[in-house]
Amino acid sequence: MNLVATEAARERAASANKRYLDVAAVTKRFGTATVLQDLNISVARSEFISLLGPSGCGKTTLLRLIAGLMKPDGGRIAINGSDLTQVPAHKRNIGVVFQNYALFPHLTVEQNVAFGLEAQRTPKAEIGARVQNALALVRMQAFAERRISALSGGQQQRVAVARALVVKPSLLLLDEPFSALDRKLRETMQIELRHLLRDLEITSIFVTHDQDEALVMSDRIAVMNEGRIEQLGTPDEVYSAPASLHVLEFVGQSTRIGGTADASALNGTASVETPLGKILAPLHDGSGVSGKVVLGVRPECIALGERPDANFNEISAELTDIVFFGSKTALHFQPPGADDRIQVEVARVPSGIAQGVALKLYWPISETMVYPAP
Amino acid sequence: MIPRLSFALCWVMLSLALLFLFTPIVIVVAVSFTESAVFSFPPQGFSLKWYYSIRNADGLLASAWLSAQVAFISTLISLVLGTLCAIAVVRRMVPGGDVIATFMASPLMIPGLVLGIAFLQAARLVGLNDAYTTLLVAHVVLTMPFIMRTVLASLSMFDFSMVDAARMLGCSYPRALWRVLVPNILPGVMSGALFAFIASFDNYPISIFLVDVHTKTLPIQLLNQLEMSPDPTVAATSALLILATVLALIVCDRLVGLKRMTTI
Amino acid sequence: MTTIEMRTQAEAQPRRRFFQLDTPAIMVLPGIVFMVVAFAIPVLILVADSFRDAGGFSIGGYRKVLGDPYYIGIIWNSLQLGLITTIGSLLIGYPAAFALSRAPARLQVLLFALIFLPLTVSIIVKTFGLAIMMRRDGILNWLLLNVGFIDRPMRLVFTEFALYFGMINVFLPLMILPIYSVMRQLDPRLTDAAASLGAGPVTTFRRVTLPLTMPGVVAGISLVFSISVAAYVTPGLLIGDRFMTMSQVMAKAYLNIRDFNLGASMAVVMLVIAVTIVFTSTYFAEPASRRGRKG
Repeated sequence: MNLVATEAARERAASANKRYLDVAAVTKRFGTATVLQDLNISVARSEFISLLGPSGCGKTTLLRLIAGLMKPDGGRIAINGSDLTQVPAHKRNIGVVFQNYALFPHLTVEQNVAFGLEAQRTPKAEIGARVQNALALVRMQAFAERRISALSGGQQQRVAVARALVVKPSLLLLDEPFSALDRKLRETMQIELRHLLRDLEITSIFVTHDQDEALVMSDRIAVMNEGRIEQLGTPDEVYSAPASLHVLEFVGQSTRIGGTADASALNGTASVETPLGKILAPLHDGSGVSGKVVLGVRPECIALGERPDANFNEISAELTDIVFFGSKTALHFQPPGADDRIQVEVARVPSGIAQGVALKLYWPISETMVYPAP
Repeated sequence: MIPRLSFALCWVMLSLALLFLFTPIVIVVAVSFTESAVFSFPPQGFSLKWYYSIRNADGLLASAWLSAQVAFISTLISLVLGTLCAIAVVRRMVPGGDVIATFMASPLMIPGLVLGIAFLQAARLVGLNDAYTTLLVAHVVLTMPFIMRTVLASLSMFDFSMVDAARMLGCSYPRALWRVLVPNILPGVMSGALFAFIASFDNYPISIFLVDVHTKTLPIQLLNQLEMSPDPTVAATSALLILATVLALIVCDRLVGLKRMTTI
Repeated sequence: MTTIEMRTQAEAQPRRRFFQLDTPAIMVLPGIVFMVVAFAIPVLILVADSFRDAGGFSIGGYRKVLGDPYYIGIIWNSLQLGLITTIGSLLIGYPAAFALSRAPARLQVLLFALIFLPLTVSIIVKTFGLAIMMRRDGILNWLLLNVGFIDRPMRLVFTEFALYFGMINVFLPLMILPIYSVMRQLDPRLTDAAASLGAGPVTTFRRVTLPLTMPGVVAGISLVFSISVAAYVTPGLLIGDRFMTMSQVMAKAYLNIRDFNLGASMAVVMLVIAVTIVFTSTYFAEPASRRGRKG
């Protein structure tokens, strides 16, 4: 299912103008601190891209640079081939949904949505119809006369989306728009917004620090860290083949085991000496690793029991915790001599398992990731 | 039993407090309509003659006009200087914002007479003899804390991403400030300006050191009048002042809501 | 392309600081410079003046103000004026604020406006009304006569009773409003909770209500005390020279007898009192408010 979506996204990205938004070598400094250094990213027409990263990684700065609310210290930003770097924010025709929505409390819902059209001197006759359309799009027609303070969080978000879309922006920027909503509402709104934007074929950039959100909504994810994009890829790529240790740690659950790699890597496989014994990991594109490394495994790849053949790594560890999640159960293991616990996900807890028992675990060598230790 | 009784006692206290607060005000208004030239209570007869006599009273109208000018101009100057300062402080555009805010609001902590004497000495030192200018400068200092406090409070409740939102919707930066910042902080700023105006218009302890024979503010003229020729003309003037205050408060209440105005 | 970027950067750099609308220095400097010149420097000059007379450096003014029993008596009068006004306002204001905060919403707005309105009426106007009220043929005597407390009109004006009656009248709203603003935010369920835990009404008040409303009380006390200790207009009209305060001495020193050294010394003493009140009240308000939040 995930595969189908990925394929569709790939196709869309390939067929459309691949460099609709083009951010080239953008640098931003605050005083002596460099927040973004020579950053490049291209977004295809009607693509939905997430900028994912911890707070302070520069994702919001990048968003504000694209919006024109900040000026870069170097580099170039273009939409559809036209350079916007020197164009002021109010002439860029970019829609933004702000984190706290930034709705105007002194205006009604209707007036909020009409604000952009009035500022762009749209003919009066046209404004009414377009506002109604935009409100209909987010199912808020019934609230047109309301004051902003009389709306719930979810309703405010819809108004903010309508206000940003009514001006037919060439690009939509979303700055953590779900962070103020409670969990259940957030999930509904994510899917609703994703459908809406897909239908309208709006190119969107979505800033978030919530990896689940990014995985659910995006065509592609740009994982950012310390002012750089560490990986740009589909959700599947980012999850199953993290480009760096940081990406592995930031996206999804994982078990990390430190060790020392054998200098002589044979036929594309590294052999790593760890406190748990020897673990094998595949090496991609001929890159060799040696010295201190960190191995990573996703919890769903690990199975209980003895390995069927030599294509699997096997270790043994003590079960310390059984954490029940409903649809799945997580088993936590404390391997001897390692600080990081190992997490294994199973659909159902096998019989005869209890805390304190040492068990054998195995996973495919091909699912083992290896990164140089930081 | 005890809670109920003490609660009732609180209500009695509140009623008495209101009665206590309003008696002098009502009395002034009542006396202004009296016929006799002495303040007697209950008032004798009804007449508007003391209102007519305001026009002929020596200097009352002129001093009222002066007070209105000084209050208006000084509030306006404070409004401009204070608002600019408050924006810079709230937006953390300058270091030491807290110190600046405290400093700008600190004249409120200093007794009026002390301020008045300080202004008098300083004006004498720099050879500033013009009473009008001295009054104006002193009243800017007097009104600044009121503006500073209310503007800071309104600005700190203002979400500046609204300005960004307006810019993204097609407003230039100055236009975004005008369309979004101004309407949102205006209620708070206006109430601050009203208090500042009242404080200036009603000020006695600072002005007393700065006025001269030709330049007298209304409170000083009123007190003079009371000491020299106490007749109900003063009451009529006071009654008009009360009326003006009530009208200003009602207008503010319609525009802002009294509750919001005073909590800021 | 790199060269173009370099150029735009170089152009943008010098422009940025000086000609943009939101340039910080341009925004704060006019206000700060004005307040330093028109406010800070005059106050400092005043302090300097208090240490100087015609012959240069002198602490003669202070020796007089702080050494002469007559002036010590005057300082004491001022403090007494502030103290009694504050206590009187608190005794009436606290229960009144409590009733106000428990009033039904619509009535509360009206009552609030009524407490607030006298604050905006000129002090001179109010004091004038008070003086009329306390005349021999005024309403207060008329009331006392009719109730039967007295059998012939008393002289009230120019007595200490008139002074405190008037002072409390003028400054009472300044006590009620800060206490009310704290009480309004107090959850009534807290007192119910205390009662349900077996606390009597007296204990509930002492252990719950009073500590939680303390920030408002401290604010009210410091506000009323700092203003009433320096009051000039109301005492002048209601009691005059019979009750000399620091304010009267200062005003006389400058306006009549022209003893600037004495006036400046007295002003500095009053300044010290005012600043002390502000600092003490912030000191007391801090732990009290923290206690309040915890509860």
